[in-house]
Amino acid sequence: MEAWLLQPPGLVPYGPANAAMHDLARRRLRGEVPDALVLLQHPPVYTAGRRWRPEHLVWSEDLIRRAGAELHFIDRGGSLTFHGPGQLVGYPVLHLGGSPDALGYVRRLEEVVIRAGADLGVALDRRPDVQAGVWAGQRKVCAIGVRIMRARVTLHGFALNCSTDLSWYQGIVPCGLDDHGVTSLSELAGREVTVEEAAPVVARRFEEVFGRTLVPGPRIEEEAFYASAVSA
Amino acid sequence: MTSITMPQLGETIVEGTILKWLKREGDRVERDEPLFEISTDKVDTEVPSPAAGVLARILVQEGATVKVGTPLAEIEEEGAAGGAPTERAEEGPAERAEEAPAAEERPTPSPDAEAAPSEGRTEQVAEAAAPSPGAAPAAPAPRGPEPAATGPRSQILSPLVRRLAAEHGVDLAQVRGTGTGGRITKQDVLAYVERMRTAPAPAPGAAPPQPQPAAARPAAGEREEVVPMSVVRRAIAKHMTQSLQTTARAWTLVEVNMERVVRLREEVKDAFEARDGFKLTYTPFVARAVVDALLAFPMVNAELRGEEIVLKRYVNLGIAVSYDEGLIVPVVKGADGMNLVGLARAINDVAARARAHQLRPDEVHGGTFTITNPGPFGSVMSVPIIALPQTGILSFDAIEKRPVVVDDAIAIRHMVYLSMSWDHRVIDGAEATKFLARVKRNLETWDFAEDLRR
Repeated sequence: MEAWLLQPPGLVPYGPANAAMHDLARRRLRGEVPDALVLLQHPPVYTAGRRWRPEHLVWSEDLIRRAGAELHFIDRGGSLTFHGPGQLVGYPVLHLGGSPDALGYVRRLEEVVIRAGADLGVALDRRPDVQAGVWAGQRKVCAIGVRIMRARVTLHGFALNCSTDLSWYQGIVPCGLDDHGVTSLSELAGREVTVEEAAPVVARRFEEVFGRTLVPGPRIEEEAFYASAVSA
Repeated sequence: MTSITMPQLGETIVEGTILKWLKREGDRVERDEPLFEISTDKVDTEVPSPAAGVLARILVQEGATVKVGTPLAEIEEEGAAGGAPTERAEEGPAERAEEAPAAEERPTPSPDAEAAPSEGRTEQVAEAAAPSPGAAPAAPAPRGPEPAATGPRSQILSPLVRRLAAEHGVDLAQVRGTGTGGRITKQDVLAYVERMRTAPAPAPGAAPPQPQPAAARPAAGEREEVVPMSVVRRAIAKHMTQSLQTTARAWTLVEVNMERVVRLREEVKDAFEARDGFKLTYTPFVARAVVDALLAFPMVNAELRGEEIVLKRYVNLGIAVSYDEGLIVPVVKGADGMNLVGLARAINDVAARARAHQLRPDEVHGGTFTITNPGPFGSVMSVPIIALPQTGILSFDAIEKRPVVVDDAIAIRHMVYLSMSWDHRVIDGAEATKFLARVKRNLETWDFAEDLRR
């Protein structure tokens, strides 16, 4: 089955990107567009899922704004996380069919990242005893947070630290876990692993795990991630 | 009656947490419309309703974690169970709001989710004990709501029931309802028709329908014109009256020196318009200042539910917009995550689409606080009506140059009156005034230029 690969270039502002993703999912639900994998980078932004708790926000909102980041309260699973330059963000917009396996979907996202990590020379694993996501020992390298629209179409996705400036994570208690750290592929590999290097590897492993053939999506769909024509 | 149970979203999932009910008891729900959200490890799932009808009962409250298969709610279907597909097909063309063309969608003019007419498909309150048959001679098509009658005993009737009654000439006052709360279902009507056909003697109520005398409505006098109320007008009338009859409305006013904001806007407005393609108004500045104050004073951002006050730690900001049909209040969801530019874009977006009749129904629901700005029409002070179930509504009127005392000298400054109608059942004057003082301080001292630097 063919799916669009959308890669809006540069740093894509969170608000419009989030709106465009929701719009894409609504159209996917109506069968107007095929499945899609969106790969992009955001400027510094903290997002709080529905299960966020005030104590997970270490910095005040003012401090976050002064540091040059945005803070968005959004509709995905999970608590607080950070997105920023050097992090590969993936938003799969997939129709899961009639009786979706939500947890199975998360396991497959993890599998994509674990295999991609191996391609890049880094051994990664799951920590089902702790939380969803992809880990290197005690430290998380890839956060996962998902929402399923109408119990059928996936929203949000994964955030893989490639060469992320990890000091941003001081602003929050990532994913609400205060006894586990965060890391990046670069830190683990002992060399710089860029988003540009990781993206094609992740896309290839995504095709394999999800059984989709990625084809470049229309330019106008990528441009939609910059414009806030549709509100989330 | 359709029972909703905790769905199994994957073989390994044995339980789920109800994150949020998207409908309240008594709300109408369409088939496949999102009904509630459940949460499992890192995944939130919107669960759509399997049937169209009225959400009769919620059995499991938000925050509770229950096993897969546990009954969560009950939906009372339109008419009766059994003929669901036909009933839906008969009800009207707009099967699902999301699939209807945007221009056809008539969002309700108030954020109040309850009993607002949309698509002409809302159930109507008809008079059960009316002297004339419920089957009025000119039974209207199900889409056009007729003016609601009032009576000592009101009952909710589905469009299907009303039409069936009209077709068979049934006086609904004679029909005993067996649905929830004694509501009349399709089967009740059909059973009644069957009984009448087989009954040896006509029952008192089975007489042929008498046309209702037209004298009930006063005719127009000379140099008078009778204009029927539009659907929107009727909804506004109902919501406004309901608010005034329900809330203990009080009103507080502050005066704000807008000099900094006016100067900054003058400085940046041309570049902003060139870059973003729309005019930078004062509304986003006020909205940004209000959002901050709402987070600081959550009681103002609260909803009275029975004898409990629900504090909302998020802000969905209603923006009153006047348009050709009247007034509509689209909601900027997640306003607490937006900076000045984000708010400007979002407000411009919903306002433009409101005027173009292109809002989706869900975009006028769920507001936690409302801002209205009658200033462009020339007012300097207004007393707005609270949009239930919210606690406050802020009005900002025209910004004017006024003589004011600054450092013991008289100076000319751009001033504005910001006022708030608030519900005294929820907060008191101290809270309202502290809230307004925070908005005032924000507008007078914040450096909004930071938000605009991109």
